[in-house]
Amino acid sequence: MSRIIKRTYLAFILFFLYVPIVVLIFYSFNAGKSRAKWEGFSLHWYADLFQDAAILKALYVTLSVAVIAAIAATVLGTLAAIGIHAMRKRPQGFMMTMTTLPLTMPDIVTGISLMILFTFARIERGYFTMLLAHITFNTPFVILSVMPKLKQMNKHTYEAALDLGATPSYALVHVILPEIVPGIITGCLLAFTLSLDDFVISYFTTSPMVQNLSTLIYSKARIGIEPTLNALSALMFLSLLILLLMINRRAARAEKR
Amino acid sequence: MTGDNVSVLMIGGIALILFGFAALVFISVRRSHGFKRSFFASPYTLWMVLFTVVPVLLITYYAFTDSTGALTLDNFKNFWDSNYSVNQLYRQMGPEYEVLITRGYVNIGILVYSLWMALLCTAICLFFGYPAAYFMADRKMKFGAIIVVLFVIPMWMNFLLRTIAWMSILEDSGLINTVFHLLGLPKVQLMYNNTAVLLGMVYNFLPFMVFPIYTALTKMDYRLLEAAQDLGANPTRTFWTVTAPLSLPGVVSGITMVFMPSVTTFFIPRILGGGNTMMFGDLIENRFLFQGNWNLGSALSLVMMALILLSLGILRRVDPESEGSGIV
Amino acid sequence: MADMERLIDLQNISKEYDNTLVLEDINLYIRENEFVTLLGPSGCGKTTTLRIIGGFEHPTEGVVLFEGKDITHLPPYKRKVNTIFQKYALFPHLNVQDNIAFGQRIAKVPSAEIKKRVEKMLDLVDLRGYGKRRVDQLSGGQQQRVAIARALINEPQVLLLDEPLGALDLKLRKDMQLELKRMQRMLGITFLYVTHDQEEALTMSDTVVVMNRGRILQIGTPKDVYDEPVNSFVADFIGESNIYPGIMLEDQLVRFAGCDFPCVDKGFGHNQPVDIVIRPEDIQIVDMDAGQITGTVESVLFKGVHYEMIINAGELEFKIHSTVMQEPGTRVGLSIIPFNIHIMNPIPAENEEDMPDEIIEGDEVS
Repeated sequence: MSRIIKRTYLAFILFFLYVPIVVLIFYSFNAGKSRAKWEGFSLHWYADLFQDAAILKALYVTLSVAVIAAIAATVLGTLAAIGIHAMRKRPQGFMMTMTTLPLTMPDIVTGISLMILFTFARIERGYFTMLLAHITFNTPFVILSVMPKLKQMNKHTYEAALDLGATPSYALVHVILPEIVPGIITGCLLAFTLSLDDFVISYFTTSPMVQNLSTLIYSKARIGIEPTLNALSALMFLSLLILLLMINRRAARAEKR
Repeated sequence: MTGDNVSVLMIGGIALILFGFAALVFISVRRSHGFKRSFFASPYTLWMVLFTVVPVLLITYYAFTDSTGALTLDNFKNFWDSNYSVNQLYRQMGPEYEVLITRGYVNIGILVYSLWMALLCTAICLFFGYPAAYFMADRKMKFGAIIVVLFVIPMWMNFLLRTIAWMSILEDSGLINTVFHLLGLPKVQLMYNNTAVLLGMVYNFLPFMVFPIYTALTKMDYRLLEAAQDLGANPTRTFWTVTAPLSLPGVVSGITMVFMPSVTTFFIPRILGGGNTMMFGDLIENRFLFQGNWNLGSALSLVMMALILLSLGILRRVDPESEGSGIV
Repeated sequence: MADMERLIDLQNISKEYDNTLVLEDINLYIRENEFVTLLGPSGCGKTTTLRIIGGFEHPTEGVVLFEGKDITHLPPYKRKVNTIFQKYALFPHLNVQDNIAFGQRIAKVPSAEIKKRVEKMLDLVDLRGYGKRRVDQLSGGQQQRVAIARALINEPQVLLLDEPLGALDLKLRKDMQLELKRMQRMLGITFLYVTHDQEEALTMSDTVVVMNRGRILQIGTPKDVYDEPVNSFVADFIGESNIYPGIMLEDQLVRFAGCDFPCVDKGFGHNQPVDIVIRPEDIQIVDMDAGQITGTVESVLFKGVHYEMIINAGELEFKIHSTVMQEPGTRVGLSIIPFNIHIMNPIPAENEEDMPDEIIEGDEVS
């Protein structure tokens, strides 16, 4: 009995979460432009999608910013995590507080403060400033993903490597790095998805000339969204889903070993 | 264009600094003696100072100065004293904007409204999210792990589009009203009110409540529950005396993760509230982008940060992790 | 030169952490092929001493000499010593043979040669055929053997072992003790061994160094340390002891428990307060009227080889080991021959508990 209640409850919550997504994907196949009225099945929004220069440009901006920001944040964050981990207790605590503090800052404040910085430094807002902003908010997440892996490590493994004749740099590459790779991958993926989905910070740090998908959608929200965007997000959703499944597969296999 | 030159200079400068650090790290690695791994944190430290500390200092600077750059507390006075704010606005905008002014562009009112909405949203998320997390974490639940993934997947779709999708469900000619129409029921106004905004917020932030609670519950040693039952506690008592207190850290971080973004959200009210409602995030954006009043906008941002740090402080106090970890 | 046989020489080593003195004026030398054990309770500084020799810590004061050369500030990877760490510290991402080959690869030994040596090491530690296994698939004892092989393949002059058997169960521990001793003899390597287990120390070592609170209390052969402990702390830490306060009346006569006992020690002066240490197996139970003192049997515990009896004699209690059991409640006499009464200067009553264990050697606690 209680099992049925539990399942029903979860099904209800999941229904709530998926309804808008289903609706969104559903209307991407609508022949008409209406968000509500069904005017027959069509794929022409998908065809239009690849003709729409603004959307394609926004897609390019979104993806390239996400990739570059994720890689940069991963390098910066991994180095930082290794460095912070090697610190003594006090400075370590200080650095970790300074790392978690930006996470408690509302996005809008982060965005605005960066906007002020760029204006103050007379840097024209655009692609580059958006990239800087994304690296900034991504890096703490990478550090927080890598740090637990470093802490889990038997602290003597590094010393054991030195003991066996490895120089610190050799030990770093051959002993520490292989052990924290899972954390680095997690952090990198996290950074990538956060960057992909970010709206608020991008909104304040870019110019109307350089838009990513989120700011493009926002600017069109008042006028009315064309179903091309529905089509695009359906496609992106699908590809992310496939990516997720692949990662899960790999993780499952790794666990089995 | 000068802007381009400056940004090229900036790129060059940062690249140079990073390169310098890389070189320093490399050298200190080669010179085995006195090598310090903590040095690896320095590029990040530099980055953090440049793009987190300096911007916050700039906001603080703007909050305490007026448009001429002179030190002042007017921005905060303006904030706390509603009349002050109304009078200022009145003077600036002229009588033709009186309607706007009385319609509630008053800071305190908006702040209270935002806090109230965020609180409601957090409460609703907790009310619906806790049972969901609890059921998912049930050891007898076969597909718990898969359901967790199902909770994550919606977040992979752009949240603006997901919110806009609610429009097509709720609006006058939307899905619900179409169904009502087919059933011969009268049309209902679902959009452009508080309930719609709240729905959008709960929809967006619910997963952030579920995940931390789920994690806390799965980390819990299930033998504790068996022990409690062994000692004579019935399931209800076991829940309130063992499960609930042990999942408290998860609840606390869930509340943090829902409350914070809800206070500052500015997209959801604009879409689902249709401009009838204004929340604190809208207010800040408005001050910066439309009024160009950086000083007041900065003051508002500072107030918001202070509020959030304060609520975090209170929540940390509730969190048993920080004070009683040795007891359990 | 007498110094030639000193392989490692610690001179006036002190170490401070955050204003706490962890090691105080340590002077110790280790000869070639010697099996030396640092023995002491948690937080006594034995692991810190080992880590200073390994190069993982640097002393605040003093020098470390290796074959007469100052190596105080030499980094670990330039030292001719290898370490077996607590909980082994195997590289989890490498399999058994790659773990063992780690040091050889760094030393750029040709890979065919490495292969041969790894096989030889696997034989030595009895793990033939385990080369391709992942280290987390091995049992504790097997991981221990891999750690040993990984260190020994580099043919170190000194092997440092930091509580290497701490995580093993009793039976395995005993086997490994013998095994380690065998390897040490066979390979002719100097072992410096850290443990808090006095039995382990006595079984394996040529020389035992008893430490407490950052200081060396006694250095000697296991027999010396057991039979002639320098003070009641050493006596109590090594083996079980009855320790009582007493007064040295004159040479070869001591008073405690309300009686005067003849003993063999002299030179303490008249009416000097002293500590008296008697091993539980050194007290004889005799007929009531034949004993020097009398008492009542309070409790009896069967300990396998012997019975442990607590005998109440007035205000003092005696712990006695004997193969003959007495019923609780029996009145008995106790007799101690002079040779078995050990007289020591009392430990100055300084703050006993002033050394926090945790900060100094957090690892040992677990």
